[in-house]
Amino acid sequence: MSGRLSQGLYHAVLWLVALVFFAPVFWIVLSSFKTASQILAVPPLLVFRPTLANYARLFAQPAFEHHFFNSVVLSVLAVLIAVAVSFLAAFAFSRFRPGATNFLMFLLLSIRMLPGSAAILPVYLMYVAFGWKDSYIWMTLFYAMFSIPFSVWILKGFIDGVSPRFDETGIVNGASWLSIIARLTFPQVLPGVVAALIFNFIFVWNEFLFNYIIGGINTANIPVLLATNLSHGGGIDWTFLSSLTTVYILPPIIAVYFFQRFLLVGMTFGTVRGEV
Amino acid sequence: MSLAVSSRRPFASRHRSGLIAFFGRREVLPAVLICPVLLFFIVWDTIPTLWLLGLSFYRFSLTSGRPPIFSGLYNYTSILNDAETWFDLSRTFIFVLLAVGIETVAGMLLGLLFWRSDRLPGRRVALTLLFAPMVVTPVAAGTFWRLIYDPTFGILDWFIRSLGFAPVRFLSDANVAFSAVLAVDVWMWTPFMVLMALAALASVPKAELEAAEIDRLTWLQRFRLVILYHGKFILMLGILLRTIDAFKTMDLIFDMTYGGPGTATELVAMTLFRRAFEDFNMGSSSALAVILLLISIAFTVTFLYVLYLRERKAALA
Amino acid sequence: MSKVTKSLRHPVPTEALPAPAGLARRRLLQGSAALGAAALACPRYAFSASEKTSPLAGKSIHMQILGIAGWLPSQLGVGMSPDFARYAKDKYGYEVSFSFADAPFGTLFQKAATSLATRSQEYNIIISDSQWLGALATPHWIIQLNDIIAKNPSLNIEWWSPSIRSSYQVFPDGTNKLWGFPQVGDIIGIFVRKDILEGPGEADAFKAKYGRPLPVTWEDFEKMDFDQWLDLIAFFNRPEKGYYGFAAQYSRDYDAASCPTMSFMRSLGGDIWDPRTGQVQGIYDTASNAHAMELYKSWLKYQPPGATNYFIAEVIDAFTQGKIFAGWQWVATGRTMIPDKFKDKVMVVPPPGFKKPDGTLYRNYIIGGQPWVINAFNDPEHMQVAIDFMKWWYLPETSHEYLMKGGMPCDKATCARPDFDGINPWNRTYKYMLLKSSDFWHDPKYSEMLSDQQDAFTGFYTGQIKDPLHALQWTACQQQRILYDEGTAAKAPTAVCRGIRL
Repeated sequence: MSGRLSQGLYHAVLWLVALVFFAPVFWIVLSSFKTASQILAVPPLLVFRPTLANYARLFAQPAFEHHFFNSVVLSVLAVLIAVAVSFLAAFAFSRFRPGATNFLMFLLLSIRMLPGSAAILPVYLMYVAFGWKDSYIWMTLFYAMFSIPFSVWILKGFIDGVSPRFDETGIVNGASWLSIIARLTFPQVLPGVVAALIFNFIFVWNEFLFNYIIGGINTANIPVLLATNLSHGGGIDWTFLSSLTTVYILPPIIAVYFFQRFLLVGMTFGTVRGEV
Repeated sequence: MSLAVSSRRPFASRHRSGLIAFFGRREVLPAVLICPVLLFFIVWDTIPTLWLLGLSFYRFSLTSGRPPIFSGLYNYTSILNDAETWFDLSRTFIFVLLAVGIETVAGMLLGLLFWRSDRLPGRRVALTLLFAPMVVTPVAAGTFWRLIYDPTFGILDWFIRSLGFAPVRFLSDANVAFSAVLAVDVWMWTPFMVLMALAALASVPKAELEAAEIDRLTWLQRFRLVILYHGKFILMLGILLRTIDAFKTMDLIFDMTYGGPGTATELVAMTLFRRAFEDFNMGSSSALAVILLLISIAFTVTFLYVLYLRERKAALA
Repeated sequence: MSKVTKSLRHPVPTEALPAPAGLARRRLLQGSAALGAAALACPRYAFSASEKTSPLAGKSIHMQILGIAGWLPSQLGVGMSPDFARYAKDKYGYEVSFSFADAPFGTLFQKAATSLATRSQEYNIIISDSQWLGALATPHWIIQLNDIIAKNPSLNIEWWSPSIRSSYQVFPDGTNKLWGFPQVGDIIGIFVRKDILEGPGEADAFKAKYGRPLPVTWEDFEKMDFDQWLDLIAFFNRPEKGYYGFAAQYSRDYDAASCPTMSFMRSLGGDIWDPRTGQVQGIYDTASNAHAMELYKSWLKYQPPGATNYFIAEVIDAFTQGKIFAGWQWVATGRTMIPDKFKDKVMVVPPPGFKKPDGTLYRNYIIGGQPWVINAFNDPEHMQVAIDFMKWWYLPETSHEYLMKGGMPCDKATCARPDFDGINPWNRTYKYMLLKSSDFWHDPKYSEMLSDQQDAFTGFYTGQIKDPLHALQWTACQQQRILYDEGTAAKAPTAVCRGIRL
């Protein structure tokens, strides 16, 4: 078999794999251009006259804008805060290795270990007692907390990979710790920062349970809107579901497309800093 | 990489006056840097966990209108004496084992497949499509999969029927429902393991691979001795993260089967949610949550122990 | 002036609206203070509700209603609220605006309870499912209405059927304590495709096969027992033509499989518990109830594959897409079950009766429907508006308007209107079945009992459990223990329960 043919075959297989995984998502996207009975049609419709009515209806809902805004604000603010604090902590863990580093790193991971419905329970009672329910600030901080463990882990890996000689050079030249952290270390671990941002963004973006329980009218995000308005007249509103989902997966998909390289490098947890 | 290990080198700290200098001192700085994370940790993890622990010793139902009554270990004994708990737990363990196992193997294989695909036309688009399942809101994914799985309206059964087979009742047959839910989890999270596998492969030094090729190692040997040796850390981390998350699986179950038919897809996270936010039985659900937390910690300790061993070996070498 | 902007067909929670002023009052202490104030103030403002002298005159109040998402009667309750705003302005002289929050059936209680547990008046009025009365009333999250009804005679309404009061108002069962007002009555009806039923040659073919005439009129269906129904759906089960005989609700979700099963149990003369003593064992785990489960399972033969995963939405999809001849459904979904393309092609009939030993037919089905309940943490102003709202809701004009828009009022005056039956295709069945329906547990522990029962029922319907009696024995043990632990049941679970497994 000629090399070119085998390579062509190889590439075809790769694309096939990608398309198989994408197929269910594609089906949702396709459905968003159908009418309700077209979505349920048997045999399934692949060729049809697409309609934009579902989108027109979606964007006409005043609730959509509000919830979308909430999704954006909550997820962006939460991951920014989380990555900022995590970066500082990761720097300290990596550079100074305080006595309890390993234990603290483990404790941080334990936040992730608790099943959502277990974690939400005491948090809910706490939010009730302090009157924090349905507040932007406390909601954001809560999401930030959930994003911290992963960020610290990833960033510590990256900072470990940055030679401490940079710090020393900086110090010899009279730089403060602040500028060492911000100007010397930060740019070198950018892939880790971006990976942490994106991963946590995807999590907060799609989070339903916490928002549903400790959020409320003010802070409800799109997944909550999705779950709430899913039913219509007792049935499932398939057109609403498919069009809203399509709109909602666009931002994370775009992020994955543009920051793919960072994601791949990011997941090496700092062991590689070049191309992947 | 060896440089990172030797970071214990004392720095000459310069004398400066004022608050900034104080915070900048080597003894103080780490504490200052860690402080914000610690604060988050105390407010949203320590306090709620202690709260949870405390509640677990009380009989307390929000809807009973009665104040909490201290009941010692009653909640724990009644959970552990309930056969259903053990069924739910073992079902969950099987789910985690199968889900993480399949996702890891499939992720690794696909990772190897995509490893040398630099010249693939539209590689970035292809990878984005491959990673897409990860970003779909679980609420939407669960509901739509219910449609895809529907024997009457679903595309999957239409396919099966047009091939001349009897329709499969994916979510309503107690024997199939578990696998059907598992398959959706695999669809959603294999891409994550592909990502981890690609990262792991990227961490393998090219020079060693070339050396292996020159030494005429077999494919399997190369995989075991070179790739796995270097990529183990990242892969293990991926498995750890997936294990923790699979143990918590709830959204998909909630939207697809609600734990049914019967108890076929009842995973502990679902039981817990129900006990806490349908029954509002706060005492009993806290106790269950504490049990689950302990199990998760046991998972993680085991994993980290393995990881840490590797780190120490590396440090010794 | 009302701020309600939602359209009826496509519900939009009006979250985008400015937050009600009362929202800030959700702190624990403030909340409990409000409770105290409400308790003290209650009798006083109930008196002062007379016209013109309303203490609220000139004020502007924002009310928030929590209802069931995508549920037409809930939406009507909210959609009609601008009328109340006008009425209040005229009659009492205050401005009122409304916003609406909603949650799906299965999770609405979570939404309400998590808010009420904070002693918040976030939701001033809540549309609750009837079974939740106990769980909402026991912690005193909602107000008891006896005093209010005593002081506002117009709220002392004669209902169409006695089960309205016992299902939507009373807790605990058998007492005189009232907690809710019926927002919508709902019953099980069977939606039948008249166009298929009356198809050419069907009547003759049916007669030839079964030796009796094909039921075609409402009266024919009213006289049908379970076996005759089974024949009918067997006759119209035609997978080769792309449709099946029937679809009902068997899902694990919420109370899907429970309502029909318990309906059959009661219609066969059995029961599920004794509300007075809390006794379950011995009443629930009987051969007759096990037979009810077998009967309900036997219907599955003539249903689409996957029917064991059906709840309300799935039956709607199957019916409206023409995949079934007849569908078991809550009639509150009538507008969705009968889209324009099915206009005049669908009749709604009572579900089957069960033959008593004396040969007469007996029906005792589970009732649906939801009551309005009033948040106990409302401050006196919001409480007053909530009561005024109720008084307006039961005005004959409002009831009629509600009926015309597809709602289902419960008061005798409206139900007895001569034109009632003709207004919607399901109205006749609605009225008929209201007299033959009753509710199940109102106990605060109902959700735990329901959850175990759903495990057992769906386990049996999908073949995980072979013996229905065993499923019932296990459930009875669980429920007995739950009620005994709570102090509701006098007797502890018997020795049979030790080591019993599902």
